[in-house]
Amino acid sequence: MESLWFEKSLYDLIQGLRSNKGNEEEFIQASLRECKIEIKTQDMDKKATALLKLVYLEMFGYDMSWASFNVLEVMSSQKYPQKRVGYLGAVQSFRPDTEVLMLATNMLKKDIVSPNIPNLSLPLAALPHILTPSLAMSLLPDILSRLSHSSPAVRKKTIVCLYRIALVYPDALKLAWPKIKEHLLDDQEDTSVTSAAINVVCELGWRRPHDFLPLAPRFFELLVDSGNNWMAIKIIKLFATLTPLEPRLTRKLLRPLTNIIQTTSAMSLLYECINGIIQGGILDGDDSLQERDEVATLCVSKLRGMIVIDSDPNLKYVALLALNRIVASHPMLVAMQQDVIMDCLDDPDISIRLQALDLAAGMVTSDILQEVVNRLIDQLRLASSQDASKTEALAHPDDEEPEVKGSDSNLPSINLPNDYRTEVAHRILDMCAQNNYSEIADFEWYVGVLIQLVRLLPPSSTEDAWLEPGVGGPDPWNITKDTPAFRIGSEIRNIAVRVKGVRAEATQAAEALVLLDNRPILFPATSNVGIDVLGPCAWVSGEFADQLRSPSRTLQSLIDSSNISLPAGTLQLFLQAIPKVFIQVNRGFETKESWKSEMTLLLARVVEFLEGLADHPDLDVQERAIEFLEILRLGAESLNSETEQVPFLLQSVIPSLFTGLELNPVAITAQKKVVLPPELRLDEPFNEDLPGLFQNLDNSPHDASQHHVLQNFYYLPDYTPVSQKSAIEFTPAEVQLESSYQGSDYLAPSDRRRERKERYRDDPFYIAPLEPTSGVSTPNNEGLDLDAIPIVDLKLDDAPQPAIRSAPKPRRGASRRMEVAGDETFGNEEAPLPSNAPGSAANKRSLLQIDSSNLGQFSLQEDDPIIAAEEDADMRKAMQNVEKMRLRMQRTSERIELEGIPAEGTLVKKKKKKTKTQDPDQPGAEKKKKKKKKEVN
Amino acid sequence: MINAVLVFNNTGQPRLTKFYTQLDTQTQQSLIAQIYRLVAQRPASACNFLPLPPLLSQGASSSASGPSDAPTQITYRTYATLSFIMISTSMESPLALIDLIQVFVEALDRLFENVCELDLIFGYESMHAVLSEMIVGGVVVETNIDKIVAGVRSQEGSSGKRKAIQAGSAGLGRGSIPTLGAWR
Repeated sequence: MESLWFEKSLYDLIQGLRSNKGNEEEFIQASLRECKIEIKTQDMDKKATALLKLVYLEMFGYDMSWASFNVLEVMSSQKYPQKRVGYLGAVQSFRPDTEVLMLATNMLKKDIVSPNIPNLSLPLAALPHILTPSLAMSLLPDILSRLSHSSPAVRKKTIVCLYRIALVYPDALKLAWPKIKEHLLDDQEDTSVTSAAINVVCELGWRRPHDFLPLAPRFFELLVDSGNNWMAIKIIKLFATLTPLEPRLTRKLLRPLTNIIQTTSAMSLLYECINGIIQGGILDGDDSLQERDEVATLCVSKLRGMIVIDSDPNLKYVALLALNRIVASHPMLVAMQQDVIMDCLDDPDISIRLQALDLAAGMVTSDILQEVVNRLIDQLRLASSQDASKTEALAHPDDEEPEVKGSDSNLPSINLPNDYRTEVAHRILDMCAQNNYSEIADFEWYVGVLIQLVRLLPPSSTEDAWLEPGVGGPDPWNITKDTPAFRIGSEIRNIAVRVKGVRAEATQAAEALVLLDNRPILFPATSNVGIDVLGPCAWVSGEFADQLRSPSRTLQSLIDSSNISLPAGTLQLFLQAIPKVFIQVNRGFETKESWKSEMTLLLARVVEFLEGLADHPDLDVQERAIEFLEILRLGAESLNSETEQVPFLLQSVIPSLFTGLELNPVAITAQKKVVLPPELRLDEPFNEDLPGLFQNLDNSPHDASQHHVLQNFYYLPDYTPVSQKSAIEFTPAEVQLESSYQGSDYLAPSDRRRERKERYRDDPFYIAPLEPTSGVSTPNNEGLDLDAIPIVDLKLDDAPQPAIRSAPKPRRGASRRMEVAGDETFGNEEAPLPSNAPGSAANKRSLLQIDSSNLGQFSLQEDDPIIAAEEDADMRKAMQNVEKMRLRMQRTSERIELEGIPAEGTLVKKKKKKTKTQDPDQPGAEKKKKKKKKEVN
Repeated sequence: MINAVLVFNNTGQPRLTKFYTQLDTQTQQSLIAQIYRLVAQRPASACNFLPLPPLLSQGASSSASGPSDAPTQITYRTYATLSFIMISTSMESPLALIDLIQVFVEALDRLFENVCELDLIFGYESMHAVLSEMIVGGVVVETNIDKIVAGVRSQEGSSGKRKAIQAGSAGLGRGSIPTLGAWR
């Protein structure tokens, strides 16, 4: 009867969902309200049904954490169907912060020892999802007893459950492991149980391979005799972690593995054999075993076969995966398969392409670098020309680029997603820049590649960030640093600085990117991707201004009024470049008749541009603009007097500001090696009463209108001095920004302060009362009329050569070996510490990750009998204390959980600290101490 | 170690979610959405392995060769309107996981007789029961279809009622999942 009512009810919900297409949300909310009432009734059937409906809705993202107590109620039902719903609810909805679990211990104990197999399977399957250390500790004896249950179905689940218990409570393994081992060694044991045990050992194995070496003969036996492919795969995985420790295993395994590779028809087993041979390091032994070479050849030929012969994309993918693992240790073997790998670069499947890309990046040498990169560029070119034809070309999709003649026709035409294109761009840069450009034979080619890449970059959404007020203004570097566009800019700068031989080419490339005429082509209106490239390019054009083709055009592009809307970080670099290029242009005037009028004109234009930036919202931009503005105003003044020749100030004083020692690349660690002067005390506060100072500042009588003026001056961009010839229209933005202040402007200062305090009361980052500054920053360039900018073809190659160039341009193709400047540093070279060092990566936990790191410190080795006996007694004592402990832990974890910290995390930390200080050679002693400490606690 | 098993249909509606770690509902949903987006854009001919979605790629050191706790593999298979996804660490064999999904689907097919999406919607509990016969706490405990089905049947008692809901089906989602034949 109840099952009928049961099904009808979930059925009703689902039917309702299906018939309420369009206003499901409303229906669901109504159902949730119903469930909330139903779940509170005393009628167990109704309660369980409501819970089942809630679990179903939870799957669609409707929170049911509020029902956790009701879940417990249904779990404790006497009827199996209801109990099952309860357990399902617990599995699906309990979270680390679910507190009611403390109340469930006795009920779980009762279910675990239930004589009814379905009943007792429920907690075994559910426990891994809800375990806490205290729960694990108190349930351990009951679960251990289930290992000797008569049903193999119970035994196999128990083994896995014990493993999950050990993850949160490592000491459990001391008791559980000997029993699991018994089952593993028992020939008469059911194969399901054996294979569950192998799966568990496999998970434990890579943490503590030493402990499982003694079992190797049994694993070997199972591998050869069992005939179970699922288990064989796991055993091979396990051996891959054991062989590095025991060289004799290698010799023993070689023959059976070869045998499997040659005979098996199961591709998964074949693949895992090859993978096991690779990962287990069987190929890298130092003694020249003849069999080893044979195996290596066999493996690689099988992998090649998987790629070439079988048309199955899965096999292609895993074969590339395996090759990726070999490439570090056996680059030669992999390089022999270069032809098939290169074909995979053009595979229609993106996953396969990405693997091939990884592989290509791993095996490039100077011989094949150009081929690989050209191939990838062709891919990108094809993709972007497809885009262009699709979206009715806004800019010219410049396919007649003479640099690379790709074989476009035989490439498959598939739509490449943008993140793949970004990945390709990153890989190209990685490949070329590795080992300080050691693989690049032809730097002119590389500069060409960089220029092309800029054009081929996909539009990316992250670049929009700087357009939004408040986001890009304060710290533009952090936002744009990782984009390929920024990296390309940095590469051009790197090449210009490091490789003197192509400095001219690199500078001219930078110039080409900076030139205003080229921007519509390089950075199509549809994407603002190229903006990141401009900063470093501007810097290069300034620093090496003497190499520019046309300094005056560059200067015009740098001081164009449309630049004002660029991100602050880019503008800073523009500002640095402007005076340098200006000096270079001036130098050209000096020989002319009309120098004075031209110089005056130029100065006026530069000054006008700088004036526009003198009140830029970004302080860095503002400061630099004002500095150069004042210097150039002085220059303009000196020109006004009746001088017959170039004034001294303009001729040598200003230029001397930017000449001197050449800039060289500095190692990333160099700064750290600078010894701090002893009198520098960074930790000492300037003023002890800093908060008080702010307090006073805030209390001081404050005229609202004055405040408004100051606010406007510092935070509202005012572009009126800029001549209106450009198409930029800032007024709408200004109006908008002003309106955002209204809230505070209409309040009296004291009211404002109270309101602010209210607002920030809970904000931990709010230190002292400050003037409210809502996000104001670079204006957006919505009004920027890109169509007004003339479209001119970019001609990189046939631009007029500067007449004064002394060195003849070396012929393309005759690749010169370039001198690449290394990083400058002093003292001993240390490995730089990039942010993604392995140490920091280990600390970062991945989502979904089940942490087994605390097993690493735990030993399973057989101890000598005396210690073991002592330990047994110790353990018994400990177990007696478990119940007492549990209560205490419950209380502490309740306290902890209230603060929002998972109880599990704190316990693990404690454990780690203790074990670190103890002697790892005496696991027994360590154990005892640990126990005692706990009791003291 | 298997970290999660997901089933959703070709419009991204979840049909089964099972996470072997405790994860808040919001993150679960965004992970499902991210994986659905990845699956949806793949052609039928593509291989059965997904790149890591943004939520998972942070924290997972991709190229580290050794085993680790971080999930690095996502295997999926699509049957008719449903996609089955397994998220796992590198200790699972990728090809074996494809077969494991096949076992899961075949077991469901045995239980529901010509299983289709609608059966799984209404037989929501049974689907969970099948999965918990196969995987406990992220570790595979059974790959034998007979034993899996027997385990579920022993829980549910009478298995005859399974198709009872058929009468009420509105037609959508009917039609059994094809390509159930031995896969390799």
